[in-house]
Order: sequence, then structure tokens, then C-alpha cells
Amino acid sequence: MAETMGHSATATRNTSVAIGFCLLAIAPQIFEFIWSIGTIFGWGAGRGPATVLISHATALFGGAPAVLIGAASGDTKKASSDVLLALIYSYPIFAVAILTFFMTIRSAQDYVGGIVLMALALFALWASSDLQGMRGFSFGAGTAPRMFGGLLVALGAGIALTGLLADGPAMAHYSWRGPMFVMASIVFFALAIRPLGVVVSAFASFLIAALGTHETRWVETIIVGACLTAGCALLFPYVLGLPMPMFPRFLVQ
Amino acid sequence: MDIFANLAHGFAVALSPINLLMCLIGALVGTLVGVLPGIGTIATVAMLLPITFGLPPVGALIMLAGIYYGAQYGGSTTSILVNIPGEATSVVTAIDGHQMAKQGRAGPALAIAAIGSFFAGCVATVLIAVLGAPLTKLALAFGPAEYFSLMVLGLIFAVVLAKGSVLKAIAMIVFGLLLSMVGSDIETGASRMAFNIPELADGLGFATVAMGVFGFAEIIRNLDAGAEMNRDLVQQKITGLMPTKKDLIDSTPAILRGTVLGSILGILPGGGAVIASFAAYTLEKKLAKNPSRFGRGAIEGVAAPESANNAAAQTSFIPLLTLGIPPNAVMALMVGAMTIHGIVPGPQVMQKQPDLVWGMIASMWIGNLMLIIINLPLVGIWVRLLRVPYRLMFPSIVIFCAIGIYSVNNAPVDVILAGVFGLVGYWLIKHDFEPAPLLLGMVLGPLMEENLRRALLISRGDWSVFLTRPLSAVLLAIAAFLLTLTLLPMLRAKRDEVFTESEN
Repeated sequence: MAETMGHSATATRNTSVAIGFCLLAIAPQIFEFIWSIGTIFGWGAGRGPATVLISHATALFGGAPAVLIGAASGDTKKASSDVLLALIYSYPIFAVAILTFFMTIRSAQDYVGGIVLMALALFALWASSDLQGMRGFSFGAGTAPRMFGGLLVALGAGIALTGLLADGPAMAHYSWRGPMFVMASIVFFALAIRPLGVVVSAFASFLIAALGTHETRWVETIIVGACLTAGCALLFPYVLGLPMPMFPRFLVQ
Repeated sequence: MDIFANLAHGFAVALSPINLLMCLIGALVGTLVGVLPGIGTIATVAMLLPITFGLPPVGALIMLAGIYYGAQYGGSTTSILVNIPGEATSVVTAIDGHQMAKQGRAGPALAIAAIGSFFAGCVATVLIAVLGAPLTKLALAFGPAEYFSLMVLGLIFAVVLAKGSVLKAIAMIVFGLLLSMVGSDIETGASRMAFNIPELADGLGFATVAMGVFGFAEIIRNLDAGAEMNRDLVQQKITGLMPTKKDLIDSTPAILRGTVLGSILGILPGGGAVIASFAAYTLEKKLAKNPSRFGRGAIEGVAAPESANNAAAQTSFIPLLTLGIPPNAVMALMVGAMTIHGIVPGPQVMQKQPDLVWGMIASMWIGNLMLIIINLPLVGIWVRLLRVPYRLMFPSIVIFCAIGIYSVNNAPVDVILAGVFGLVGYWLIKHDFEPAPLLLGMVLGPLMEENLRRALLISRGDWSVFLTRPLSAVLLAIAAFLLTLTLLPMLRAKRDEVFTESEN
């Protein structure tokens, strides 16, 4: 009984890890899709969401297999960037995800860490695939990134392998509150500094960051935040002479 | 003697009112950072980089240097009194220092830490002055092949000295090297891995990544544990700073050994203050007639690591000033500060900018003197600072970092990138990857690639050039030797033992 329970526990864990890797395998595509939604409203440049969806889907299911078959029969045609992404990045990660189902993971911390590093390296290999390689005996722009990218793929695989072969710690616990509010505070500051100026954005970001812990007491936080904002507003633009807007644009005009 | 003339010139520069002020500010900020846990030297130096825009270059570098060695003093104060190391470099000081404080001997512990640091600082200052000129001459004999091999050696050192898995440390270095390739290629100008984002065309800013991985990630990690950290102050009044005669006799050899060890580890690329303090503590324990005293308030356990970390903090300027190679992340930020002011680090700096080099060296000695005064009589003020709760401190650090990064390039994108690297750093910590080798790889990446390409161009594509040039071959041989040593299982066990015992 205990044995079967233990078995089923690793099985569910393996499944979630494998599904995570599947998502990782198409993460760049998903990211471009989300990014492309902005173009509807005129933010940013790039392809529209429909084009992104169609081109990645055809690349994943049609283009890449076609290139593989073509390569096998000796036909070397120049593949498009989407097809290359599928070939260099997505397919290997999918393969890893499928393999993960059949593995006993002894240290999830190492295994997942190694695979994610490998994914990063594969992504870098794709990102530098359009660069020129060796020209005779002199390095091209793409030689060094490919060299180190390949090395990192090997190292990531090695780390993942230790996670399979040796016992080690399981995945560490992640909390969401601290990272979320600290990130929100940073992003808000970045977006607000130009239009709203130091005073408003620094004070607001201070309060957002303070949400990162449940121990915040609001009266003292507001007082300290106000003092810090005043201090920064004097220190950076006046004492140090760094140019930055002080107050919201609409108030100044 | 050349050295005396140079040092005299340096003191003339360092004693000018503006530079004295900069030195004092640096020492004060350094002590503050050292005392406060949760904010490290790397993040602070990165944060203050933009501030140095408006300063003259000599003053700016004097201030930044002051922060680095000032933090080594400050870290010892909290280690001894509160058992919270404010800096990674004083983790081992806490073991015996805090025991001494519990036995009512906080005063002598603080005094010995300060005296040891001061002595080490003085020796290191002289060492920089003496070694500077000959090493610069040696550097002129270096071709691209030698530079490349030296950097390989430095990175291998970083791997050997990093704690935890060797494989992970190497992976972090390679990751850093890859990150350094983002942006325009130096030779062809081709845009690499920049995804047509204009802000990435110049590459990832080193300060941005450092602030993310060391500043934001640290904050997020600390919030995991809850903002209210356990801070039991040693409440009794610190009476009698003066160590007894026996204390002095016991600690003198420890200080000497710590200084020597720290100076050596500081010069080696990849080393630095953290490693030096660990190594010095282990050495003392090995040499002691009665090792069981360690951990129960042995004064050598305070004297040796404190001297070692201060010596290392200062001698790590030697490779930077003579070879132009930053041996650790803080020195890499100093490179950033120098470049902001249009100074290219390397062997030519000594000749072209004597004011800068000798002024900085002289200021280190002055700064050490200031630090003794800042730390010993004023120790009560610093301890009171620890009562500032983390729930108020962390939003302040976030805002200060954000404004600091924004002001480097006036680019909001940089702030967001730093945030992203904060999350990356948090992920790295969760998967037990050390971020320090990553930064070192990122710093040395462009230099390495440039020298590798140049060496191969000169040799017309012949890779054996790295082995046929004698200096380069020796450097690579040392690197290979070190790597095999670390991978040998027997030594691995030893190495883990060193790190686990210093973490207690």
C-alpha cells in the first residue's frame, strides 16, 4: 500500500513537471502572441496576433517536420525564423518533457534547474542562428554565442543528469506575495517616471512595494515613504544634478 | 625611491578637501551597508554608480573604494554584537565574535576586529604600491593569447572557490558569458540576440544585472522568510574597549597570517573578501593547538578573518589597476565607474592617470584610519540602526535602486530589466545556483571574446597558440591543475567540509 502511494505521488509530480516543460517549450511563442495583442491597440510594433498564431502553428506542425524530412533527403532550403524556433528550441524541450514522464526524479531542484538552463541555452542558439559563423579562420559574429550556447546546453544536461542520478533536495518553496508586489512596484516606477515624475512615482511605488509583506503598518509606512520621496526628490535632481522630471507632466504645463 | 615619490604624490591628491570628503562619505556609506543586513556591497556600489556622474573621477573612485572596504569593517560590528552578519564576508566572524560578546567581551572583540582590519589595510596599501609598477611591466608583455588564458584561470578560480556544485558554478559562468554577448558585436557591429529592441543594442548593462540579481533578488528572498527578522541585540553596555595583553599576544600571529592569506587571495582573479575570510578562519582552526576553543569565543577566530577580508578587499584592486581585469563583481563595477569617466582600465592607467591610481591608494590608508574612528567610538550609533525594521527598509531599498538604475541611462526599460533579473536571481537562489560567478562571466565575457578572436586572427586560426606561448601555457596549466584538484573526490569532501562549518 505504502509503495503504491509513494509511486503515485512521484507520478503526479512527474506529470506536473512534464506539463511545465511542455509550456516552457512554447513559451516564446506564447510570449510573442501576448505581445502581439498590443499591436491591435497600436502599442509596439510587430506582427498582429492572427499572423503570429498562424505562422507559429504552421511552423510547429507543418514547416519544421517538412524541413526535417527535406534535410533527410538532402534538400537544404533556407528555413524561416519561426520554423527554426520550433526546430532548435521547441522540439528538443518537447522531447525532454516526454522523457520526463518515464524518469524517476531524485532531485527536482537540480533536474528542473538544469533543464531550464538548457532551454535558455537553446533559445540563445536560436537567437544567434541568423548570425554569421566562421569566415575562414576568423570568428564571425555568431561563432562565440554558438560556442557558449552549445557549452551551456551540455552543462544544463549534465546538471539535469545529476538530478536523476543522485539524491538531493526537492523543489524549493516559492512564495508569491513578495515577488509579485516588488515586481509590480518596479514596473509601476518604470512606467510612471516619465509621465508622472519622481515625486508621484516614487511615493506610489513605495506603497506598492510595502504590500509585499503582511507586517506593514500603514501609518508609519506612509510617513517613511513621504520622507524618502522628499529626500530622493532633493538628492537626485538637485544635489547630484541628474536630470529627471519632478512632477506630473500635466501639472507642469 | 619611486614608490615614495609616488605615494607622496598620492597623499597630496588624497588629502585635498574634496577627496577627503569623498573618502569619508565612502567609509560612512560602507559602514552603513556593512551594518545593515539585506543590502550588500555589490548592490550599493551599483546603486551609487550614477551618483558619481557629477563628481571628478578621482573623487568618484575614492568614494566607491571606500564603500567596499568600509563594508568589511561594518560587517564585523553586527556579526559580533547581534550574530547577524551584515556582509557575507563577516559570516565567520560571527561564530567566535558573538560568543565573545555573550561572555561580556564585546569590546575587545570589536577592538581586535578593528585593529586587525587596520593593520591588514595598511599592509595591503603598501602591497598595492609596491606591486603596482612591476605588474604593469609584466602586463605589457601580455598578448591576446595570454590575456585570454589569464581570464580562463580567473574563471576557474571562481569555480574552485565558489561553494556547492562545480558543475553549477561552471554553468553560471557560461550563462554569464552568454548574457554578455547580447548587443552589438564589437568587430562586425552585427546585432546579436537583441530582438530589434533598441535598448538592448548596447548590451545588457552590467549595473542593471547586478542590481537585479544582488539587489532585488535578495529583497524578494528575504521577504520569503517574513520581514521581521530575529534581532536579539546584546543589550548590555559595551564596557572597556581595550583588549587585554593576552588578547593582543594571542591575536597578533592570527592577524599576520590573515593578512598574508587575504592579500594573496585578493590578488588572484576570482577570489575576494568572502573567500579570504573563510580560508583564514579554517587556517587558524587547523593551526591552533586546541581547536575546540573555536566556536566558543576564541579571539583568533575574530582577528584572522577580519584581517583577511580587509586585506583581500584592497588587494583585489591590483589586477584591476595593473592588468585591467576585474577579479570580482565589485571590481567589475569599478570598471563601469572608470568607463563612465572615460578611463579605460589596463596597464596604461598607471602611467596616464597617476593622480587617480596613487590618489586612490593613498586614500585607502586614510580611509582605514577614518574607519577606526567611525567604528570604535561610534559603535553605539550603528547598533541602534539595526532597530530599523525590515518592513520599512525594503521598500526604501527598492525605490532607491529603481531611481538609481533609471538615472544611469534615463531609460525606464533598464528598470524593468533589473526587475526581470531580480526574478531570475530569485529563481537561481531557489535552485541553488550561485549568482557571483554569473556576474564574473558577464564582466569578463566581452574581454575574453575579443582576446580570443584577436589571438586566433594573429595565429591564423591555429588554436595551439594558447599552448605554444609559454606564459599562456603556464596559466592554462595552472587552471587545468586547479580544476582537476577540485574534481578529485577526496578534496571535494574537504572543500564541502570547509563551507559547511563556516555556515554554522
